[in-house]
Amino acid sequence: MIRLEKVSYSYPDGTPALKNLNLVIKKGEFIGVIGRNGSGKSTLALQLSGLLKPQAGKVMIRGMDTRDPSKLPEIRKFVGIVFQNPDTQFVGRTVEEDLAFGPENLCFSPMEIRKCVDMALAETGLEKYRHRSPKTLSGGQGQCVALAGVLAMRPECLIFDEVTSMLDPESGIAVLKTIKKLHRKGKTIVYITHNLEELHDADRIIVMEKGKIMLEGEPESVFSDISLETLGLDLPSLIELAENLKTHGVIIPWEKTASPQSFAEEICQLFLKT
Amino acid sequence: MPIILENVSFSYSKKTPLETSALREINLRIEKGEFVGILGEKGAGKSTLTKLFNGMFKPETGIVRVDGLDPSSREAKRKVGMVFQQAADQLFCKTVYEEIAFGPLNFGYSKKETEQRVYEAIEAVSLDQTELSRDPFSLSGGEMQRVALASALALRPDYLVLDEPITGLDPIGKKDILKTLNRIKEKGTAVITVTHNLKGFFPLLEKIVLLREGRIAFQGSRESYLKKGFEPLPPIASMMKELRARGLPVNLTVFTVEDALEEIMRLKSILE
Repeated sequence: MIRLEKVSYSYPDGTPALKNLNLVIKKGEFIGVIGRNGSGKSTLALQLSGLLKPQAGKVMIRGMDTRDPSKLPEIRKFVGIVFQNPDTQFVGRTVEEDLAFGPENLCFSPMEIRKCVDMALAETGLEKYRHRSPKTLSGGQGQCVALAGVLAMRPECLIFDEVTSMLDPESGIAVLKTIKKLHRKGKTIVYITHNLEELHDADRIIVMEKGKIMLEGEPESVFSDISLETLGLDLPSLIELAENLKTHGVIIPWEKTASPQSFAEEICQLFLKT
Repeated sequence: MPIILENVSFSYSKKTPLETSALREINLRIEKGEFVGILGEKGAGKSTLTKLFNGMFKPETGIVRVDGLDPSSREAKRKVGMVFQQAADQLFCKTVYEEIAFGPLNFGYSKKETEQRVYEAIEAVSLDQTELSRDPFSLSGGEMQRVALASALALRPDYLVLDEPITGLDPIGKKDILKTLNRIKEKGTAVITVTHNLKGFFPLLEKIVLLREGRIAFQGSRESYLKKGFEPLPPIASMMKELRARGLPVNLTVFTVEDALEEIMRLKSILE
């Protein structure tokens, strides 16, 4: 449903950000994107949403070429993007107005706009804040408003660029939970993060380095790849511990490394059984 | 001489219908050369507390003293350096040099003295001299954080106060800043940081101050924090606590992968 073919892109100052990149994103997938700062993750996000156009190669979004200006309104409806800092993404005086901005711009009818806004509020649990100014909300709630603002345009594919990195852990978990709920309802998700713990149950993980995809696969195989460390990525401690235990003959199954609770339970079962 | 808070309380929007109590009955003492972590859930009062250290907020009741001085005095302000979460918000000059030189010049140090301090500060944070002529806003997040840190260090503070200094950085950027902070601490400056990033900071923290709903729930060494089972915890320590809760005799002060590996293998040999 989104296809990148040999995409290259350099910024005006000459910094190359993407080099000859090929990628296919299937409908309903949850793809995690990791990589150090400057590896091209955010540029990839902008390409996937049609906000940047490739200088070489092409990006096809449901059969539409992002280089074709006449297709842009249609692409905007199809792909939504949420960024790191919610404060820079607000346009409305109230949450409701903020959410109406997108569908209004897409020339939806007033009735449709109302419906879209209500739905987005319900999906993100923001109903009670609809008349509040987005600026007065907490970081986590603000990020939900940014997410709802994109949802109001009814996109099928959602792109998240480090949306939890500025939130406290609790708010981050709440935002991610909302995103996973949307995924279960059938949305296609591309999720960029430095926090590998958030990607434990992703369908696929892509590791970017110097504008290219260095590694790709299911979380279990990507996280056990030793080159991850040389790429400057930080494995979740529990996964690192499980890898270490494996060399000592103690096997902790992948799904049990998801939380301290499940990990401890597994250790108890292993040790108390014998 | 330390930073001392005695029976400090603070409320926002005082004497208005929006009045909210942020801190209550805080008693705290921070010595030079300590590495202190201020932990707690959002809204617990962590950032408010840091703003009392440099006189940005005045306590409603109680006393705050920095080496015996009023924190809003000029001399106390020189002693307490602040770095906030979003470095970009505290940068405003045209070049990195001007940015770092701003503090010392403002405090009336000569151009020569200021220059010396700028070079000393960039060395402390491992910024290259070639970066001095750059526009701070053209830097990456990690570099901006380093410039903000250098600006604070140029005043040679005795206390460096940081609010979530490594959020938004990639793992390499995080490790660099952590190393830098540890070096600063080794030289005798107190490093006091608000953080949610326990995995990164825990190995460095010597003292922990845990805030809960505006009050100090715990204050003491990292070891006693772990032994008493307070939260939040880094993932490994959290797992150890779970094992203990299930009746296994594990050492609760373990919080690194290496130590956990050893501890679990020890457990295995006992149980088998």
